[in-house]
Amino acid sequence: MAENQYLAPDAKLPYCRGCGHAAVVRHLSRALERLQLPPRSIALTTDIGCVGLADSLFPYLHTVHTTHGRSTAFATGMALAEVVLEPGGLKPVVMIGDGGAMIGLLHLVHAAQLNVDITVLLHNNFLFGMTGGQHSALTPLDFATATTPGGNWTPPLDLVALLRAAHAGFLARHLATDAALDATIAEAIAYPGFALVEILELCTAYGTRWNQLTGSKLKEIIARQGYQVGRLEAEAGRPTLRELYRRAPPSRPARAAAPEAEKPMTASPLTAELRLVVAGSAGERVQSAAALFCRAALAAGLYTTQKNDNPVTQGTGFSLAEICLSPRPIEYTGMENPDVVIVASGDGWKELQANGTFARCRPETLLLIDAELEAPPAQGRLLRLELRRAASPSRAALAGLAAWLVLSPFLPDAAWQAALATLSADRRAEPSEALRMGRELRADRTGTNP
Amino acid sequence: MPRRLCSGNRMVAEGALAAGCRFFAGYPITPASEIYEVMMRELPRHGGMALSAPDEISSLCYCVGASLRGLKAMTATSGPGWALMIETLQYALMTETPVVIAVVQRLGPSTGGATQGAQGDVWLTEFATSGGYTIPVFCPSTAAECHDLTVHAFNWSERLRTPVVLLSDKEVGMTTEVVDDAVLATPPAVERADFAGGRPFLTYGFAQPEEVPAFAAVGGEVKVTVTGSAHDQQGRLRKNAPEVIEVLRHLERKIEVHAEEMELARTDLDPGASHLVVSYGITARAARQAVAALRREGVRVSFFQAQTLFPIPRRALDWALAGVENVLVAEENLTGQYRAVLARCLEGKRVVGINRIGGLIAPGEIVQAVRAAEA
Ligand SMILES: Cc1ncc(C[n+]2csc(CCOP(=O)(O)OP(=O)(O)O)c2C)c(N)n1
Ligand code: SF4
Repeated sequence: MAENQYLAPDAKLPYCRGCGHAAVVRHLSRALERLQLPPRSIALTTDIGCVGLADSLFPYLHTVHTTHGRSTAFATGMALAEVVLEPGGLKPVVMIGDGGAMIGLLHLVHAAQLNVDITVLLHNNFLFGMTGGQHSALTPLDFATATTPGGNWTPPLDLVALLRAAHAGFLARHLATDAALDATIAEAIAYPGFALVEILELCTAYGTRWNQLTGSKLKEIIARQGYQVGRLEAEAGRPTLRELYRRAPPSRPARAAAPEAEKPMTASPLTAELRLVVAGSAGERVQSAAALFCRAALAAGLYTTQKNDNPVTQGTGFSLAEICLSPRPIEYTGMENPDVVIVASGDGWKELQANGTFARCRPETLLLIDAELEAPPAQGRLLRLELRRAASPSRAALAGLAAWLVLSPFLPDAAWQAALATLSADRRAEPSEALRMGRELRADRTGTNP
Repeated sequence: MPRRLCSGNRMVAEGALAAGCRFFAGYPITPASEIYEVMMRELPRHGGMALSAPDEISSLCYCVGASLRGLKAMTATSGPGWALMIETLQYALMTETPVVIAVVQRLGPSTGGATQGAQGDVWLTEFATSGGYTIPVFCPSTAAECHDLTVHAFNWSERLRTPVVLLSDKEVGMTTEVVDDAVLATPPAVERADFAGGRPFLTYGFAQPEEVPAFAAVGGEVKVTVTGSAHDQQGRLRKNAPEVIEVLRHLERKIEVHAEEMELARTDLDPGASHLVVSYGITARAARQAVAALRREGVRVSFFQAQTLFPIPRRALDWALAGVENVLVAEENLTGQYRAVLARCLEGKRVVGINRIGGLIAPGEIVQAVRAAEA
């Protein structure tokens, strides 16, 4: 295959004289020649910076010129798609600078973890070339840059070591001038997973302006950092992404499917819209009681909306559900004036006070309150029930709903049966018991709340 | 036809599957996480791939990469995650890469109120590009609309090769309600137009600025040249070339010419009305209820719900505005974001904002505002 399948022979390299980037594009071209890969099987994905000027030099490859630091992530997206598109054969090759590697560090880490089949050529010239020679996270100690004029005082990031910790399968490091670089790049591209080759090079515009640098000085810097060159230790035997993805345990079937009612099994006598609030404590099945109630309502041909609320940490504090119930489709899902308020715990009580629900109750509102709680500062008819003591805290909310339905029989028993039937057999006993207990609860005091 | 209980978020995921989505990358954030979870569970069963990304920048980059390779792709997030995605959104726009982003709004700014609803990201989603390009934005008010508008979002994204936002919010997304599959109005899925050969391929080729370039996947037979930098039709980075400016104009023009076709609105007009209530998203539900209540009292009032927020559904709106004196725009944000955007369409009308943050706007507030406008 002729070289012009890759790097255009007449390509005018857009870099400053002596820039290491020029050596890398030639090595890359030779690596592709070695592999004899069809040009359309490569997606040359370039980052921002001088390093990103390379795409126009390869007229037959697919090229994707991206944003600063994100080239790895776009390439990862393409490689992920390969797993879905069988038989995939695209190999993204990323060209990124040390600046791009710094801002896009997480993409490199995740690509290594995923073991996506991409090859990253990290052009480490110790600084940001295109923007004028500023310091990056990979700048060596004492190295002078536009933004560390007295020499860099933060130790450089060893990206190879970092990616080893991220389980990269292929890692190598070379000087741009190493004759072995093209063979290494070829190996990296052939490797069926994440591969990174760090290429140490000089920016002749800025690197050599502020630092006394020659080829041997570069080697000295590398030695001082303890960097090794050549093919480096990595987790070479990792399964490919395709294998990993196939091996992933299949997703379990969705939780008990929401009930589907072809037609209402039992008509509800409800003729107007009703708004209920059920409040209690996190972990005491308030929202799941409301969900079961909505399923029963659905089975009875009604429309419902259920709007839950809880503190940001879901496991503590209050838990509440606001339910609208109607024979017709429901618009507004909030609680301008609740018709029924069921309070199963002190946490719930406090939240209804805080969020203004009590204040919005009207004289007709039915307040169904656990017997241990104080009378709320709300208008309405108050009904105290032994929700927590007789039914238990985790059954209190559902028992409260069942108790209310004894007074206002909007949901026939068959609807509850249909709702329970949507639960897996081992999860039916608890709510059945809560419902039974709720129906048997007796109000110990009724009256109108002040 | 089954009636079932579903959240809006779940219906977004189902809509994505119905639209042919084959790639999803997500990152957890309330109130959008359920879309991510459902896609993780369902998409592999539909021959696609769903993946956890390490941040929202990666989520959208992965989607764009997969879309460049030819897969329909979506991600879902909320305000804080959207803020991180904006650079990549602009890249998708510039590279004419289809992708759908479901933004489920919550109370901002910053981390704001994770479990509180809001409609405060209208500007943030629409005005997110350097250069001020139109991002098509669809906005559902019910779980059923979540499904259908997600399919519309995919269809327009694929057809116009541009990123599209499905702008939901916590209340629409996380509230469970009865969905009647029989009343879904789901459009058939649209596929992006593939390059058919017969002429040299230009990655961004068009004869007329409003044309959408034919798509060829990175990795296919014809060489593709993708770039987020200002480019000519071939995808070559150029400076000071008239063709580059032409390409930039084309990015807006291809959307502009379809603005009328993209209009989706639910209207309920009374030809003798002197008031028009305008709303969208979750607040449209309160508005519909308010309008029904007002009519029962004999007030002549019309209603307009924008489902396409952008491009502004101008033709449908103008129709609704005919003969009306007062326009009341109800939305759950502080400064009347959509009202401000509509201002240029409302010249000569008395415009009233009905706004609130921190909770749903109640029908009663809208009723009162209309009554006050009557007086
Ligand atoms: C988000 C963002 N921030 C900043 C820039 C400006 N910028 C352009 S090139 C570049 C640095 C590139 O340095 P490096 O990745 O080391 O590549 P080099 O130029 O040295 O090849 C920066 C910061 C940008 N394009 N995008
Ligand atoms: S500025 Fe530096 S990195 Fe950029 S082309 Fe010149 S020498 Fe190379």
